[in-house]
Amino acid sequence: MSTNRWLATGNFYTTYREEQRIFRTHLDRLLFSLFLVSLFAWPLLISASNRNMLVINNILIAVVAVYGLNLVTGFAGLISIGHAAFVGIGAYTLAGTARSIGESHVLITHAWPLMILISGFVGAAFGAFVGLPAMRLKHLYLAIATLSFQMIFTWTINFMTFFNQGQMISVGRVYWINGQVGRDEHYLFWYYVILVTAVFCGLGVRNLLRTRYGRCLVAVRDNDRAADAMGMHPGLTKVYAFALAGFFAGVAGALHTYMFRGAGFESFTLHHSIIYLAMAIVGGLGTLPGSLLGPVAIQILELQMEHISEWAGTFLTAAMNLATALRPLGFGRVTVLFLMFEPRGIANWWRICRSYFKLWPFRY
Amino acid sequence: MSYFFQLVVSGIVVGSIYALSALGFVLIYKSSRVLNVAHGQIIAAGAFIVYALTVWAGIPIFISFLASMVITFFMSMSVERIFLRRLIGEPIISVIMVTIGLMSILDGVIYLTPFGSMNYSFPEFLPSTPISMGGVSISWTQLVGVIITIVLIATFSWFFKSATLGISMRAVSDDQLASMSVGISIPRVFGLAWAMAGLSAAAAGAIIGNITGLNFETLRAFGITVFPVVILGGLDSIIGAVVAGIIMGLIQQFAAGYLDGNWGLNGTADVLPYIILLIILLFKPHGLFGTHEIERV
Repeated sequence: MSTNRWLATGNFYTTYREEQRIFRTHLDRLLFSLFLVSLFAWPLLISASNRNMLVINNILIAVVAVYGLNLVTGFAGLISIGHAAFVGIGAYTLAGTARSIGESHVLITHAWPLMILISGFVGAAFGAFVGLPAMRLKHLYLAIATLSFQMIFTWTINFMTFFNQGQMISVGRVYWINGQVGRDEHYLFWYYVILVTAVFCGLGVRNLLRTRYGRCLVAVRDNDRAADAMGMHPGLTKVYAFALAGFFAGVAGALHTYMFRGAGFESFTLHHSIIYLAMAIVGGLGTLPGSLLGPVAIQILELQMEHISEWAGTFLTAAMNLATALRPLGFGRVTVLFLMFEPRGIANWWRICRSYFKLWPFRY
Repeated sequence: MSYFFQLVVSGIVVGSIYALSALGFVLIYKSSRVLNVAHGQIIAAGAFIVYALTVWAGIPIFISFLASMVITFFMSMSVERIFLRRLIGEPIISVIMVTIGLMSILDGVIYLTPFGSMNYSFPEFLPSTPISMGGVSISWTQLVGVIITIVLIATFSWFFKSATLGISMRAVSDDQLASMSVGISIPRVFGLAWAMAGLSAAAAGAIIGNITGLNFETLRAFGITVFPVVILGGLDSIIGAVVAGIIMGLIQQFAAGYLDGNWGLNGTADVLPYIILLIILLFKPHGLFGTHEIERV
């Protein structure tokens, strides 16, 4: 390692330990800490409206879900067209519990961290089950398996009276140390909960990727026969990737249910699965910053689409149905353009930016 | 017993439409190993073009049927040219992702047209009294649909067996390098595969539209139900698509006829194909007629 631990122009690793470091220099660590602190501190300085808080919370929930999708699609190379269904599994684990034991049961309102964790594990169990065909099959077939899981999930929720046939199932307000979380501080409270979850999940994923299990995923993506020859079990690794994705999705689903104080089937349709995929692609598959940047970009895009369709609605006929048209059009176009011209996503721009500053004043 | 036969007949009708829808899907997969997720949207587009030409432009329905096949032929060809040509050689994941993106784009385009939100139905051009035989009845639209399907599938089979282009498509699906060395233009074959898939999708769309009415959601759902069909038949087999399509149609009709309404079930026809699909994937992943890929290092 270079003697200067604050700035390093280029990589000078001499041991594998150094290469696996999360923060290369003290400057990286400092900037990341500042970023985290600012994320935690800004609500104390600026008071955002409920509408804006809702958008921000949505982005953070999507970040947690996209961690999972990025693990399975980006790092393990298995396409999942049913990620919204896994998110839905988490949401309905919570909502189903609330429906059977009462929406204001102590378990729901006081032991909510436990419930979020349980939802995650149920999501993981379903993920592993859907990933089972991976023991014998390659990615194409797996993509279809996840798609069919999505269809089965939607049907089950719509059909079963236990799940209120897809209608909203409400969940009670939770309690914190100083009593029930009221209507005014609801979004702020959940902002902090989701933020802490997202940070822990992010650290978890980052650390997973430098353990043997994380490297296993990447090895299986790059060449599963070679990975097999190296003594890994490609099938089990894929099942385990799906289980991990299911876990993150389940956690995201439980957070979603708590934040909206209920779960309805319309948040977990095929359309949402495609949005999650778009987020992962636009952010950059197989990168951790991508899981953060993708949801932000897509949510901003969605807001802009809403603005445009509101503006256009003033002079267009209702039959044009612009509001429904613009969203798929926007997502599809962005996904395709990114795949064609920047397959490594926004994270690649981030990387280019970083290396520019890191190497300055040299070009390379 | 006539109830049973009625279900068999309608199962075969639905199944043959599945076979026709799956045909286009198999064509693309067979030649270029691309899973076209946007197939349902092309089916819907074909049906809407037939309607627009027939009702809004006043062209006789058979001519507009053919015209719509020609239009989707060139439409899918340009889709391949614009979006997929530059992805040849990219990892298969990004190619599938592009078709998923394409699905969203086509969704958006169709929502822009009146077809996205309204339901239409084709004008009656066949006798509306169904043909009855021994308690089993089949409507004229269904009968004509099945006949067109059979004719199209026979034409496609002939095309693959005997026509030079068909043989070159088979060659490309077998071994791309070897077929390049004997002078087959691979991009052109890919384009042709997409174009023919578009053509068969338009035919399927028009037939479905005649039988069930023009509803975007229904037509799009056909594109997704194609997945269980092709998995059951084997992703790269045309015979598989036909057999599996009919099996799937029968299963759906029997489910709708015998399961729905009993034991508090309903809508099982929509979900059963996917459950079957998951089971097939676990136990017979290459389907009934699919080729087993043998991997060599």
